[in-house]
Amino acid sequence: MSQDLTKPLDAQPDPGRRKFLNTAALVGLSGAGLSVGLSACKQDAPAPKAAAPAAAPAAAPVAEHANIHMKPGELDTYYGFWSGGHTGDFRVLGMPSGRELHRVPCFVPDALVGWGVTNESKAVMGTKPNGELQFTVGDTHHTHASYKDGNYDGRYAWINEKINARIARIRLDYFVCDKITKLPNVQGFHGIFPDKRDPVDPAINYTTRVFCGAEFHIPLPNNGTNADSMDAYRSLFSCVDAETMEVRWQVLIDGNCDLVATSYDGKLAATNQYNVENGMTYENMMSAERDACLFFNIARIEQAVKDGKFKTYGTSKVPVVDGTRASNTDPKTALTCTVTVPKNPHGVNASPDAKYFICAGKLSPTATVIELQKVLDWFDGKLADADKAIAAEVELGLGPLHTAFDGRGNAYTTLFLDSQIVKWNVAAAIKFHAGDANSQYVVDRLDVHYQPGHINASQSETIAADGKWLAVGCKFSKDRFLPIGPMHPENEQLVDISGDKMVHVADHPIRPEPHDFIIFKRDLLNPKKIYNLDDFPLAIKDPAQSGVFREGNKVTVKITSQAPAFSLREFKLKVGDEVTLILTNLDKIEDLTHGFAIPEYNVNFIVSPQETASVSFKADKPGVFWCYCTHFCHALHLEMRSRMIVEA
Amino acid sequence: MQTLLTVLRHCVVSAALALAAPAALANAYEAHLPAEINTAPQLCDYAPCKDIFPNATSFSERKGRPFYVEAYAEADGKRKLLGYVVLSTDVTDLPAYSGKPVITLIGLDAEGRFAGVKILKHSEPILLLGIPESALIKFNDQYLGKFVGDNIQVGQSRPEENIIGLDAISGATVTVIAQNQVMMTAGAAVGRQVGILEPVVREQARFIERKHAPDWNALVEEGSIKRLVVTPEQVGLPRGSEPFIELWFGYLNQPDIGKAVLGASAWSNLMGRLKEGEHALFVVRTAGKESFKGSGFVRGGIYDRVQVRQDMDAFTFRDLDYYNLYSVAAPGAPAFSESGIFIIRSDSFSGAYPWKFVFLGNRVDRATGTRSFANFDADYWLQDTYLEGGRPHIVVPDAPWLRVWKTRAVEIGLFVALLIAVAAVYANRDRLTRASTRKNKWPVNAFKYTGWIISIGFVGFHLLAQPSITQVLTWFHALLFQWTWELFLTDPFIFLFWIFIIVTVFLWGRGLFCGWMCPFGSASELLYKIAGSIGLKRFQFKLSQRAHDRLKWLKYWVFFGLLAVSVFSMGLAEVLAEVEPFKTTFLVGVLNRNWPYGLFVAVLLGLSIFTERPFCKYLCPLGAALAMPSTFRWFGLRRKQECSTCHACAVGCGSLAIDKHGRIDHRECMLCLDCMVLYTDDRACPPLVKERKQREKAGLALTPIGEDGYYIPIKPVPARAAGSTR
Repeated sequence: MSQDLTKPLDAQPDPGRRKFLNTAALVGLSGAGLSVGLSACKQDAPAPKAAAPAAAPAAAPVAEHANIHMKPGELDTYYGFWSGGHTGDFRVLGMPSGRELHRVPCFVPDALVGWGVTNESKAVMGTKPNGELQFTVGDTHHTHASYKDGNYDGRYAWINEKINARIARIRLDYFVCDKITKLPNVQGFHGIFPDKRDPVDPAINYTTRVFCGAEFHIPLPNNGTNADSMDAYRSLFSCVDAETMEVRWQVLIDGNCDLVATSYDGKLAATNQYNVENGMTYENMMSAERDACLFFNIARIEQAVKDGKFKTYGTSKVPVVDGTRASNTDPKTALTCTVTVPKNPHGVNASPDAKYFICAGKLSPTATVIELQKVLDWFDGKLADADKAIAAEVELGLGPLHTAFDGRGNAYTTLFLDSQIVKWNVAAAIKFHAGDANSQYVVDRLDVHYQPGHINASQSETIAADGKWLAVGCKFSKDRFLPIGPMHPENEQLVDISGDKMVHVADHPIRPEPHDFIIFKRDLLNPKKIYNLDDFPLAIKDPAQSGVFREGNKVTVKITSQAPAFSLREFKLKVGDEVTLILTNLDKIEDLTHGFAIPEYNVNFIVSPQETASVSFKADKPGVFWCYCTHFCHALHLEMRSRMIVEA
Repeated sequence: MQTLLTVLRHCVVSAALALAAPAALANAYEAHLPAEINTAPQLCDYAPCKDIFPNATSFSERKGRPFYVEAYAEADGKRKLLGYVVLSTDVTDLPAYSGKPVITLIGLDAEGRFAGVKILKHSEPILLLGIPESALIKFNDQYLGKFVGDNIQVGQSRPEENIIGLDAISGATVTVIAQNQVMMTAGAAVGRQVGILEPVVREQARFIERKHAPDWNALVEEGSIKRLVVTPEQVGLPRGSEPFIELWFGYLNQPDIGKAVLGASAWSNLMGRLKEGEHALFVVRTAGKESFKGSGFVRGGIYDRVQVRQDMDAFTFRDLDYYNLYSVAAPGAPAFSESGIFIIRSDSFSGAYPWKFVFLGNRVDRATGTRSFANFDADYWLQDTYLEGGRPHIVVPDAPWLRVWKTRAVEIGLFVALLIAVAAVYANRDRLTRASTRKNKWPVNAFKYTGWIISIGFVGFHLLAQPSITQVLTWFHALLFQWTWELFLTDPFIFLFWIFIIVTVFLWGRGLFCGWMCPFGSASELLYKIAGSIGLKRFQFKLSQRAHDRLKWLKYWVFFGLLAVSVFSMGLAEVLAEVEPFKTTFLVGVLNRNWPYGLFVAVLLGLSIFTERPFCKYLCPLGAALAMPSTFRWFGLRRKQECSTCHACAVGCGSLAIDKHGRIDHRECMLCLDCMVLYTDDRACPPLVKERKQREKAGLALTPIGEDGYYIPIKPVPARAAGSTR
């Protein structure tokens, strides 16, 4: 479509550098191990300096990239965290093979692990007063992990849920969802991003907050009394405490929140806004020529909360500070700063050199590069016009959405309408924007299949962006896989970006519908192999403690499992009993998980080694019910059963 | 051909066994054990565990590392732990005298006292035909009731040092010292695993961080990364250029090494996951197809192919003790195909002390296809420079052979003195032979007879240091297959004796050993001499030279026969080596053996009364073995020109070693020196007698006799040339 925009390589800026890269790549192949990126930086003066440390890993032999197919027993070199879309889960992939390793159920019940079946998971998911789950649908879009010193620290990942405005935290030691928080007075919770350090305390060099953007306007308070009062429609920007998972504060803003980005110094968070118009229909939402990227001054907001300058809405106790334009006209006290961005922008991404946020134009064929230092200057009153923070606003192609980085000064932006990825050089774009018409910022283009949404590169959202792999989530797969009827898998495509040219290396079908994802080095995580018995208050630590314990019609059944047997070969209940069954897996061997299913009672769940889980049900059907282990455990797995006898 | 050989072997064995009858048959000697005994999880289906714990109703599978099994008794519906049974070879392959282990089933009760010991298989020749097997059983019975944690040693009890002594078996010292080590090692291996023995707590290392970022080669050079290679032939596979497995390993807790191997951030990450007293080591495989992880950990959770040993403690790894090792940061690291980090979770391990990384393999016997466990290890000890205060001082217990040398130091000193003295005396033989005459040989004989008596009494009966053809066969095999000094050093007297023998054989011929120092030879000739001196001389005889010259080859046939048999079966060769009466005479004692052996000795010694050294001359395979190199002795005995016609010496030669041309056969000569006495005796040596008479007739002075065996000429100088041409 836009092939005319593709420049022949020789017409690209700084051919010396490129040629050098070619040579260096060859040297890398021959095993000499020169640092490509590091050396390249010396050549490429305008390239951001911060790229240097991130670029060092590029010295790895190119051969490593050549094969994305893991030999038997070979391990992937990167983890990938994928959102699951309206399957409501969080997925773990091995990269670059793209093999799915795990799905962590968060917002939606999962029959395999018993998520939404066990009392423990229900407590995380949230229940109605009658004990039933409050929600059984979910829509996850964005997942990001906790930071320390600008790189992932392997503690947590967070994922949003758009339908019911919830945020879930995943513990990365066990890969389980341990907390879910519902954001008050919010609908269409979309963007999410953890902070990277505290804006004030330098000792806190790790994530303590997670910022959440609300996409949809709702009347505040949303109590059915003010649906027609357009002025009451607002969207809130929320801050959730990373440890307690409680909502710390919210900001009342003009316009909406789409995606969220945070700065490496911890001072700024930002959300791109496609609906500064506060429109109700898409026509309204598209009416303004420029929408915005809204910056939040975290330190000032928290000071305002401390100073009591907030109000609350409805039953929520969460302090809400006023971040509207009208209330923040004086930059020196402003909580927010609006930088305008053309036409319904989508995506805001922080560059790994910590200098820029880049908003993609979506309806405008441009990307807007905003210099963070200038935004801080505005807050300090040193910059009169916030739009002067725009370092570049350059044309990329049709439908730019999201941007990833390689740590060598290049950005990779998806062009939804063009079905392309455009690789462009940020420094060259800034030069071009500054008036140097000869600055050729577009480096390369690659067709993808089809209509890409999110894009991310290995380590792209950290200071250690290594420019090896680029994944792109194509929303349509059309003819790329065997036909399976009307519903198609999505197409996650993998691109090798270690060289000058992007090389498309794989298509991976994926069950709909992931949105965003992150890819990072495997050694950043240290998952545990088994649970700790003591972490579970209900743990039955000795098989001898098993048994049926009755208080009236309230019955507790305690069972332990050790392959190939449950500690109780049978247990007796009476019709009408209110039963809580606790199962502890006392096996200590890695990967020895047991399941527990009760026929007719709609119960199945698993307990991994040293894990305890419980279920509660009413014994309303008399008879004998063979409870059995559903998760393969032993040669005598089929024999691993227990008789539940419900006496009439 | 094969069948013929087999038949032949069977015949010989039957003959040998018939000879050994009636009751000397050892039932554990080279006993056939089912192959499964080494590998089957249900050890007690194949081993007589019931003999150890007669009351046991069930035995567990092999468990632990090293393996042991638990013995249970069912009483009142409850299962009671009676104790533990361990197969010695599951713990140690320590060889006994035969070079093979004594395979023993050892029982410990639940409190750690030895509850039973049963020999399943041994290859000790001495227990086959020498000492009855019951002696070893009696030795083993001494352990019963003793605590495995006690300091039990062979020898005197020394309460002040907390040493509990065991009575040795005389004549089988090496066997029992080895057996004691096996008992204590195997017992302790179980005791430590089941908690009977307190774990040794070693002082934890305090590291010095040198911050010098060594590369891979520097780490290897300084010993911070070590290599363990197993070749295919070591596990019974055909020889190949590729190793069976090549592993590199190193200790990661030391900051310099850890950071160099893992990179700084991965290292601090790893250390953050370790608790106090936990240790990390890495392993990478650079060659071979076999996995060091194996698949044992999948089922049982335990890695069954790798282990760390520190002194007596073995540290095994569970699945939870394994972490992925994604890459090695040290520049110059080799490409690897398997990698891992293992965690030792025990503060009885210390990085300051030496340890071994052990690869536990299986050896397949290519002939029989049976599998046995084979461990391969490599030592590791952090460098001084990484440890505060340097490496701790380690008291390494002496090897069994060294202990023998130390405990018998005085006797060894005396023995060495004896050997030196004998050599010194013989080196000065000229003075002795000149001082002697045909009528009075005491200057020579006083020394020689003293040598005989000492060698019979002290060397033979006391030290039991009678060299034997079996040692020659053992060397032969050791040279062909594997030379282990320990095997030879375990008997210091035999070892020293052989040094003496080898040196003297090449200096003077075998006669100095055979004629002067061999205990049995000495006894044999001493009997002959005594018999002669007490009036039995008229019954004493020599074979005719003709008959002797035929019969003397017999001993070579015996030697080569034994050598040939030993190629097929060392055990059989050992049996056939009973042609030597040494074991009966000295090592075991006539009274301790069955009558056929006693009779054999009696016949040999009885014959010795009437004819000189019949055994030495015609049967002794050891003599034959030494005779051959004697051909190349450095210094022979002297001869004169006249010797070729004069047979005076030959007539008197007890060894019949002088042929009709007057030449001495040093392969037969016992260096009795009779002919040398004659050589300078001017009243006995015919040429010299003739010269004396001429001089006396001519009224010339009798000058001293020269080296050439003639009077020193008294002619003036010019005439000397003429004299020398004579």
